[in-house]
Amino acid sequence: MTLPEGQDPEATSDAGATPEAAVPAPAAAAAPAKPARPAKEVEPKDAPRVAPPAGSINDVLAKAAAITLTAAYMVPEMKGECVAIEVARDDIPAVMTAARDDSRLDLNYLRCLSGVDWQDEGLEVVYHLWSISKKHSLQVKTRVTYEDPNVPSIAAIYPAADWHERETRDMFGINFEGHPNLVPLLLPEDMTDHFPLRKDNPLQEIEEWQGDNLRDGAGEGDE
Amino acid sequence: MVLERDPALDVVDMPINMGPQHPSTHGVFRMVLVVNGEKIVDLVPHIGYMHRGGEKLMEAMDFRQGIGYCDRTEYLAQFSAELAYCLAVERLMDLQVPERAEYIRVILTEMNRLSSHFMFAGAFGVDAGVFATSFTYAFPQREFLQEVFEEVSGDRLMYAYFRVGGLAWEVPDNFVQRVHEVLVHSAQGLKDIDDLLTKNEIFMARCQNIGSFSAQRAIAYGLSGPMLRASGVPWDLRKDEPYSIYDRFNFEVPVGNYGDVYDRYLVRIEEMRQSISIIEQALEQLPPDGPIVPEKMPRRLRTPPGEVYAKVEAPRGEWGVYLVSKGGDKPYRLKMRSPSFCNLSALREMTIGHYLADAVMILGSMDIVLCDVDR
Repeated sequence: MTLPEGQDPEATSDAGATPEAAVPAPAAAAAPAKPARPAKEVEPKDAPRVAPPAGSINDVLAKAAAITLTAAYMVPEMKGECVAIEVARDDIPAVMTAARDDSRLDLNYLRCLSGVDWQDEGLEVVYHLWSISKKHSLQVKTRVTYEDPNVPSIAAIYPAADWHERETRDMFGINFEGHPNLVPLLLPEDMTDHFPLRKDNPLQEIEEWQGDNLRDGAGEGDE
Repeated sequence: MVLERDPALDVVDMPINMGPQHPSTHGVFRMVLVVNGEKIVDLVPHIGYMHRGGEKLMEAMDFRQGIGYCDRTEYLAQFSAELAYCLAVERLMDLQVPERAEYIRVILTEMNRLSSHFMFAGAFGVDAGVFATSFTYAFPQREFLQEVFEEVSGDRLMYAYFRVGGLAWEVPDNFVQRVHEVLVHSAQGLKDIDDLLTKNEIFMARCQNIGSFSAQRAIAYGLSGPMLRASGVPWDLRKDEPYSIYDRFNFEVPVGNYGDVYDRYLVRIEEMRQSISIIEQALEQLPPDGPIVPEKMPRRLRTPPGEVYAKVEAPRGEWGVYLVSKGGDKPYRLKMRSPSFCNLSALREMTIGHYLADAVMILGSMDIVLCDVDR
């Protein structure tokens, strides 16, 4: 069957909204090599962090685990639903045990564990916790350096972390100390020397091609 | 004279390899089972055969291209994966999706749940030894649903129909009528499968009290979706953390009593009935016309710096997308929390102590998609 006429949402409205739209696309025949587009990347500016209201989950947790949090703030994009805390890596087992066992928190569900490579600022591990009974969530973050990428394992506290930690070790080379079986999970057994998701491990040209191709004007003249 | 037994005749633990190419592993999955006689003593799962570095590739794709990759990751519940990704980007960009687009998204996502669960029912019947009969009951139904998806998106499997902010294009004019037609088929197909399997004595004998998992263990292992609900935890993201417009529909969340393989089957069958009900309600409320993308849709998708965790209730459980952006048109980091991955991590504990043949049933009841395990 024939498709209805395509209506590309990206190409429909306000042409002058982004700075790139004002730059005319270079004529393909005139320029054999693609001229570099003027660099007009939007300067990233961090949104101001909003501290959680007093008596929030972070205060309860700090008291229950008897530690000091490096930082605590509301995740802005989560519309006040989620509190994020940053802790020192050595405090991770205490934080997780308190989060799971304290009856006021009851964060019994580890929904996600991810690594993030912040380059100059080191490697980060992000834990997403959720309480099935209390219906609140908490993000726990901790930073380590490339030279010393060790984080205590929480596989004994949350069995769900077992495979997540193995995957994060595969991809970022973060060593989860005390993990019962920290062998490669998704990668081949002998691939323990380089870590694909780190930023110093760039994609091959062929893999980048699609993204760059689109950046140079494809998709703007779809209709 | 003392009679000695030959120690060579003792039953000893023996490792058996199963997979990666094995019809019962539902994809490229390998497990090494250590058996004592017919009893499983240990099980070591090996995954990663389908690992394509999707999370890395998506860092090089802009936000529109990434949608196509979601289909290729979760190829039985494509719309759920697309929806989670779109929700994450929309949340970062603070976009409001138009009503009509929201309804069409819900209709398609729930139809996708039907087709995915039909696939489960067909394959699970085969695992249980129904031979191909359950497949011949379930697959025509999946085909009817896929025809509608094809009419809407232009592709049988890789739809890439959802867009950040709404939908790619308007649905065909006869969409509502076609969905009604297909729902009649689906209801009949559901009844056929119910008649064939649910009260079948052999099927029940193979399913009941197999792979039982308590609610506490299920939560600890991060199980989600029908796996968690079969263990008696009434946790459904559509109810507990409503996204999109799920708070507008009436539906029940079925839970099991025993957490065994049979409960997981029953939960999925009941979920299909609820899905049909949700689709019917959505068709009734669907605005006849209106925009399908926001009016102030930026020409180029750029997000401000930030992070967001978006999640949807996919047929297999919680499909989460953790998106970190440093500004610009590409994700800085994208983690796909796939339900199959988390569910599969509990396989070892669930299987030990059962018979070898039951391992196939337990794996089948998880309804894993290996592409989504390996990403």
